[in-house]
Amino acid sequence: MPGADKETDLSERIESFLSELKRCGSGAGSLRGSAETARETTALLRRITAQARWGNAGDLMEIIRKEGRRMTAAQPSETTVGNMVRRVLKIIREEYARSRGSTEEADQQESLHKLLTSGGSSEDNFRQHFAHLKANVIEAINELLTELEGTTDNISMQALEHIHSNEVIMTIGRSRTVEAFLKDAARKRKFHVMVAECAPFCQGHEMATSLSKEDIETTVIPDAAIFAVMSRVNKVIIGTQTVLANGGLRAVNGTHTLALAAKHHSTPLIVCAPMFKLSPQVSDTPVQSHLHDLVKLTSILSKVNAHGPVFDYVPPELITLFISNIGGNAPSYIYRLMSELYHPEDHEL
Amino acid sequence: MTRILISSSANISDQLVEYFRAQIREDPDVASAVAAIRSLLEFLKREQSETILGLRENMTKAIHRLEETDSSVAVSSGGELFLRFISLTSLEHPDLSQCKNVMIERGELFLKKISLSRGKVGKLCHTFIKDGAKILTHSSSRVVLKVLENAAADNKRFTVYVTESQPDSAGKLMAQKLCNLNIPVTVVLDAAVGYIMEKVDLVIVGAEGVVESGGVINKIGTYQMAVCSKAHNKPFYVVAESFKFVRLYPLNQQDVPDRFKYKADILKTVKDLNQEHPMIDYTPPSLITLLFTDLGVLTPSAVSDELIKLYL
Repeated sequence: MPGADKETDLSERIESFLSELKRCGSGAGSLRGSAETARETTALLRRITAQARWGNAGDLMEIIRKEGRRMTAAQPSETTVGNMVRRVLKIIREEYARSRGSTEEADQQESLHKLLTSGGSSEDNFRQHFAHLKANVIEAINELLTELEGTTDNISMQALEHIHSNEVIMTIGRSRTVEAFLKDAARKRKFHVMVAECAPFCQGHEMATSLSKEDIETTVIPDAAIFAVMSRVNKVIIGTQTVLANGGLRAVNGTHTLALAAKHHSTPLIVCAPMFKLSPQVSDTPVQSHLHDLVKLTSILSKVNAHGPVFDYVPPELITLFISNIGGNAPSYIYRLMSELYHPEDHEL
Repeated sequence: MTRILISSSANISDQLVEYFRAQIREDPDVASAVAAIRSLLEFLKREQSETILGLRENMTKAIHRLEETDSSVAVSSGGELFLRFISLTSLEHPDLSQCKNVMIERGELFLKKISLSRGKVGKLCHTFIKDGAKILTHSSSRVVLKVLENAAADNKRFTVYVTESQPDSAGKLMAQKLCNLNIPVTVVLDAAVGYIMEKVDLVIVGAEGVVESGGVINKIGTYQMAVCSKAHNKPFYVVAESFKFVRLYPLNQQDVPDRFKYKADILKTVKDLNQEHPMIDYTPPSLITLLFTDLGVLTPSAVSDELIKLYL
C-alpha cells in the first residue's frame, strides 16, 4: 500500500536523522555547522507535514511536538533543532489563525490587555479542518528555508558598518558566521585580526588559515594571552552556539574569559548570531556538563581528574551588540525578538 | 461569602469598604489587589448610574475610597486596572445595560484568571531553585511562599534566610509559615543583609508594585538588599503577578508618591510626614536580574512593553 510505504520511508528518515544527531555530539567538535542542522531539521519537518497522516492543525502540532521531543532528546546541546521545531509550530498556529480569518495573528501572546478584553474562552484547540492548511503550512516552511539559506549573507552584508580601516579585531575559535563577516569586510577595508586558538582542539588555527587566504593580516594567540593583548584591540567579534532568552550566550569555552577581558578594557563585544540560534531557555547553568575528550592528557589521567567543559555561559551585561540576519540589536531587546519568533506555549516542547 | 444588604445608595461606598475588609478577613492569603477588584466588581453590580460617564465617576470615587482604607500600591494598581477594564469595555458597547452585562461577565472571567496567577508564577520560578541552594528573602510575601512551597514539593533541598523586616516584624511571620512547610529557615536582622550575602546563592523577593521602568516597589529594605546582591554578584529575582504592574515612573526614592509610602491612617492624622518612617522603597531595574510573572519570565526592559500593550 502506497500509504504505508510513505510512512515507513518517513520514519526511516527520522530515525537516520536522529542517529546522525546522536553521533555528532559524541565526536570531537561539531562535524556539521548549526546552519546545516537547522536546514535539515526544517526540511525533515516539511516532509513530516507533507507525508504524515493528520486531519487538523491540532494533530499536526502533536506529531511535530512528539518528533521534536525525540530530536532534542537525541542531542540536547544542539539547540537549533528545538528552535526550528518551535518556529514550525508557530507557523502552524499562524496559518490556522489566518484560515479562520481571525485578526489576532499578531497578538497571540499573553498580555494584560488580553486578560482584560477577552470575553469567553481564549482556548483554541485547533480542531477545525481546513482544506488548504497543508499547502499553506508547506509554503510557509519553504519561506523559512529560504530565510535560513540567506542568513549568513544577511549578516555579512552588515560588516562594512561595523569594521573600519586599520582596526584590530579579536575573535575566538572558529565560527563560520564570523568568518564570512570578516571576509566580506576585507573586500573593501584593511584590518588586522587576532584569533585566540581556543584549546584543546585549537579551531582557531583553521580560522586563521582561512582568513589569511583572503589576504587578511592574522595573528594567532594562545587563550592565556587574551587579557594581555586586549588593550590593543578595538573590537571583539564572536560567534556563539546559542543565544539565551535573557540575552546571554552559551558559547565555546573561553568566551566568558574573552568577554570579561573586553569589559575590563571597555572594548565593544559584538556577537554575530543568526536568528535560528535564539532559544527560549533562560538558564545560567548548563543542562548537562558536556565534556571534551581531553586526549592529550592520557599520561596523567590515571593520577588526576580532568575537567573540560565544552560551553561557557556569558551573561548579557558583557555583550554590547547582537548582529543577526534581521539587523543589530541590544541584548535587552532579545526577549522581544523571541516573543516574535516563538509562541509561549511552545517554550516547553 | 458574607452578604451585605443594600440599605441606601449613600452608604454604598461604606459597604464597599466593609466588603473589602471582609474579603481580607475571610481569606488572609488572597492578594490585596484581587480583593480590591472583587469588591469593585460587586460595587459595579449594585450601583445605579444611568450613563457610562456616571459609572466611571462612581468607580473612580469608589477606588479612592478603597485607597483611603488600604494605601498599598497593589490596591491602587488593581483599581486602575479595573478602571481601564471599564473604559475598554464601554468603548465596545456604547449601550449602558448591555455594557454592564458584558462587564460583569468579563469581570468574573478576569477574576478567575488572576486568582490563578500566583500558581502560575510559582510553577515558573521554582525551576530556578537548585538543590542545595541558599535563598535570601525579605519580609513576608505570599508569592515567594508559593514559589518555595512548589520547590519543596519538587523534593528540592534548600535553606532560607528571612530578614526580620521592621517595623512590623513580618519576617517572623514568614519564618513561621516556612517552618510549617518543613523548610529550614533562619531569621536575620535587617542590618545583617550585607553580612549574610556572601553565604547565599540567590535572592528572591516579592513586589507590591512593578513600575514602568521595570523597577519594583516593595517593603522597605528591598533596595538595600538589591544593592548588596549586586555588589556580591548574586542574582536578584522578583516574583510578581501581572496585575501589580502600575503606571508610575519614579526616578529616585523621593519620586514615589507619599500616598504609597505611609499607611492610610498616618496620612490622615499626621502633619509632618518627615518624622514618619516610610513603609516601602523603590528598587531600580538595573539591580534586578529577572522578573517572574504569570505572563512569563521577563527581563526588566520587557515590563514597559507589557504596560504599553495594555494602555495603548
